[in-house]
Amino acid sequence: MKTAEAYEHEQGWDFEKAAMPYVDSLYNTAYRMTRNSEDAEDLVQETYLKAYKYYDKFEEGTNFKAWLFKIMKNTFINNYRKKKLTPHKIDFSEIEESYERVIQKNAPDLIRDPESEIFQDMMDADVKRALDSLPHDYKMVVLLADIEGFSYKEIAEILDCPVGTVMSRLYRGRKMLERTLLDYARKYGYIRGEAEPAKMRSRKDEVKGRKKKDEKGEETDVQEPEESEEEVLFAEAEDEEFEFEVEEQEEERFEVE
Amino acid sequence: MLCDDYKRVVYFFLDGSVSQRRAVELETHRRDCHDCDERTLVHRKLRDFVKKRLAPISAPEHLKVRLVQSLRIAE
Repeated sequence: MKTAEAYEHEQGWDFEKAAMPYVDSLYNTAYRMTRNSEDAEDLVQETYLKAYKYYDKFEEGTNFKAWLFKIMKNTFINNYRKKKLTPHKIDFSEIEESYERVIQKNAPDLIRDPESEIFQDMMDADVKRALDSLPHDYKMVVLLADIEGFSYKEIAEILDCPVGTVMSRLYRGRKMLERTLLDYARKYGYIRGEAEPAKMRSRKDEVKGRKKKDEKGEETDVQEPEESEEEVLFAEAEDEEFEFEVEEQEEERFEVE
Repeated sequence: MLCDDYKRVVYFFLDGSVSQRRAVELETHRRDCHDCDERTLVHRKLRDFVKKRLAPISAPEHLKVRLVQSLRIAE
């Protein structure tokens, strides 16, 4: 019979073996979330200690990596709430409007040379900046889907939101990211296209613009500035449910009808 | 299918998340529509580009050491 001590030791070893292979993935996302290595390290460490503490709550047979990411997301939100950082805000209708024109205009330039990178000279820092310019919720789904390769369903689990919300955020997040990259590319002359200045407006401008819209009684996508920052960033956002019917087929696959 | 319908699902199409029936419709539209074909290529290229430029950052060795140590202390 094992002593209690030996059992605990075994459990710890088991956790270490299960969790350590994900450290790079978690750190990568933590780094993108916190934007600096020191905070990323602290976030990963806190995540591991919490995950270890609640390891007996982990349901065998479910996705361990997604479980770790979920703990990290929750830890980040809690820390974030303490710090009360200012969220990035962007006017979606603005993005939506001009994006189609931009992509249409630049498509031939962008795809002409299939071997080359799109914007050869664009710096990694610009891409990072474009990603960071997304509101947190949108940045998270783009990171989890396009960088970490999680399925919609896994992302929904990690972020505690419906799959429709994941899809809606992905749709908008990717669009905003592409739009920002195209703006940079045009600004630095990597692609041609008429000067249509980058319109990533400041928060102040946006609130102004929003008020104007409100006076006209038009609906707007912009979130209420009166909301607390946490709510704005981590809102469940029922209104942004994607309009497609999402049909679950098999276990991990989602179908857009 | 209209271009607007195509635009709404193009990301999910690229994710491979649309039903087979839908994928056939989208593929058919794309074959007949130069704009939507270009659009698809641009989206795909931009996504690949972002992925490449945001190359994964590995956790620093000292963090890995620290994690293992703190887990063993926590036991």
